[in-house]
Amino acid sequence: MAKPLAQEFFKGLWDEVPPFRLVLGLCPVLAVTKSVENGIGMGIATTFVLVCSNVLVSLLRKAIPSKVRIACFIVIIATFVTVVELVMQAFAYPLFLKLGIFIPLIVVNCIVLGRSEAFASRNGVFRSFLDGLGIGIGFTLSLAVLAAVRELFGTGALTFWEKPIPIFGPSFQPFSFMIEAPGAFVCLGLLLCIMNLVGKK
Amino acid sequence: MREMIKMVVVLTILSCFSGGLLAYIHSGTKERIENQVLEFVKGPAIRMIFEGATNDPIVDRFQIKDGDIERTFFVGVFDGEPRGIAFETSGKGYGGDVGLMVGIDVKENKLLGVGVTTHAETPGMGAKAQTDPNFAAQFRDISLEDPINVNQDGGNINAISGATITSRAVCAATNEANDIYKEFKDQLDDQLKSFKK
Amino acid sequence: MVEQKKLIVSHAPFWHSGSRVTERNYHTIFAALPAVLLGFYYYGMPAVGVLCLSVATAILWELIINLVSRRPITIGDGNAALIGLLFGMLLPATMPWWAVITGTFIAIVIGKQIFGGIGSNAFNPVALAVAIMMVSWKDLFDFDSMLLNYDLEFATVYPIAAAKYFGAQGVISFNLWDLFMGRQIGGIGTTFGLGLFVGGVYLILRGFIRWEISLSFLAGVYITAFIFHLFDPIRFISPAYHLLTGYTIIGAFFLATEDSSSPVNVIPMLIYGAAGGIMTVLIRNTGAYVDGVILAILVINLIHPLLDKIRPKALGKVV
Repeated sequence: MAKPLAQEFFKGLWDEVPPFRLVLGLCPVLAVTKSVENGIGMGIATTFVLVCSNVLVSLLRKAIPSKVRIACFIVIIATFVTVVELVMQAFAYPLFLKLGIFIPLIVVNCIVLGRSEAFASRNGVFRSFLDGLGIGIGFTLSLAVLAAVRELFGTGALTFWEKPIPIFGPSFQPFSFMIEAPGAFVCLGLLLCIMNLVGKK
Repeated sequence: MREMIKMVVVLTILSCFSGGLLAYIHSGTKERIENQVLEFVKGPAIRMIFEGATNDPIVDRFQIKDGDIERTFFVGVFDGEPRGIAFETSGKGYGGDVGLMVGIDVKENKLLGVGVTTHAETPGMGAKAQTDPNFAAQFRDISLEDPINVNQDGGNINAISGATITSRAVCAATNEANDIYKEFKDQLDDQLKSFKK
Repeated sequence: MVEQKKLIVSHAPFWHSGSRVTERNYHTIFAALPAVLLGFYYYGMPAVGVLCLSVATAILWELIINLVSRRPITIGDGNAALIGLLFGMLLPATMPWWAVITGTFIAIVIGKQIFGGIGSNAFNPVALAVAIMMVSWKDLFDFDSMLLNYDLEFATVYPIAAAKYFGAQGVISFNLWDLFMGRQIGGIGTTFGLGLFVGGVYLILRGFIRWEISLSFLAGVYITAFIFHLFDPIRFISPAYHLLTGYTIIGAFFLATEDSSSPVNVIPMLIYGAAGGIMTVLIRNTGAYVDGVILAILVINLIHPLLDKIRPKALGKVV
């Protein structure tokens, strides 16, 4: 493991950006990207869980017996997810109402368990922290990009804190297919395609 | 064998740690969450009913036991006098129960207004009971002496067009609130005195 | 011994029959022309504009996707042009330009090229594009309001919508022969029943499409509509109107028969077509949408892989 520390962080932003490169954790990606606000909220919640669980798993990696490691990871992840859920309910209730069931579902998000299993349980605390942070920010950014595309074409405006900022002007007729579920699949597919095209060069 | 013990110990410690942390955060956020739920689910309806109140009705609330259920009453203070109370009842709507916040003026025994909190009615039809201010405005300042009905049933509330069932549900919930109010009037008066400023 | 037919493969040289994908596409375009020309006659320059834009952008999207994915350029085979033409035919003549461009993007890129180009698409690209646009912009497919400003020599009432909202009363003023001759409003190339019918028969005779699908589609529509009509003649219009209005005829001959999304054997083809016809009438009579042909075709596209499992027993195969 001679990789420079910076690389552990930056790989999450491009080389291993979760939904587009690893193609992991697609359930929230498809479900909550109806608006940029939701996407970023979900991304931040996931990032928090990722960083915390990565650090803790990495701290305990010598103590956790390999036979029950998955159970241990799940306990750790579920704890932090519940923390996020309670905090979000207390301080950002409208966002919690919109994200709904997808906050508890972070527990079964492949990215979180995947980073614990594949990275944090084999690397030092600081490296795991950087890895979690990088992947988390990458995840947040991808959600934001996907949500921005969908919201922009689906409603013609971007909404922040209940204030719509019209981008296309009043004559734009919303392409409401984009904020429906099939639109999420199509949009994700097209973004994946663009990512691959850019990456190939 | 040693490994077995280690597994059990590690898992137990982890679970204890997790349980402790969660209990701590839960107790720390419990009150705030309760307030937030009230604020965002019932808040809009309460604020609409208590328009012009000088206090925060969501903070000024009390509970009264009604058989097995505990009812929460919100207090509205007008001109330094706590004369408004609001509480939630429900009526059978088209798509399930329609939750209704009913505000009553204790001094003059009349309705202050109603506001739909939770519902599963058809968007654009029954859902108008929540969004159409003209419908809710009909419930303002009506005396509580007579039962309230839609005009199809001989009352004087104009039902939302295409949503008679929802309108009936709102009326039924209002009447139910009236019954509850009469039943607890004495207790309510006692409680209200403590909010006098 | 009874004489048996066997598959015989002879030695080279082989001789090409001349039937190619390109030829197939151009013949289909040719067969669609009568209906298109009548549309031009009634709706004038706006219809020409919509159709030209549709064909041009369809080819352009195909070219762009060919270049971006660095694959051989396939705009010459006429398939993109055919998709553009059929898509344009389904639109009202007053379709705004941006909707046409979005539609052809959906048809070519999402409907066809994403799956791997010609012959690989799971759905009919045209039906897919129209369905997505109908979901997003319902108003643009409301022919009554879209064609409001036209002063035509016949009633500017979209018959299938009138039937939906007013039952049999709504279509009482329409004469079946007028409907068949295209004297009704609708998409640019969907109203001229005779022209589409002749085009379809031409394609069947040349062997480009199969009569089983078209015939069973029309039969499915007729029989289902007949049953509905039998139960409530006031609410449900008579089956002949179902055949001659909306997208029924263009659906039966040009959309349902699209090659890669329709089955290959006789029995599956019959089931496929009939299912499409039944779905069409079900959506029209009981569903939320005015015309069910597009959605019905997407549904039968979905069941086509299952239908293809019904096939003759392989020679010499022991069960």
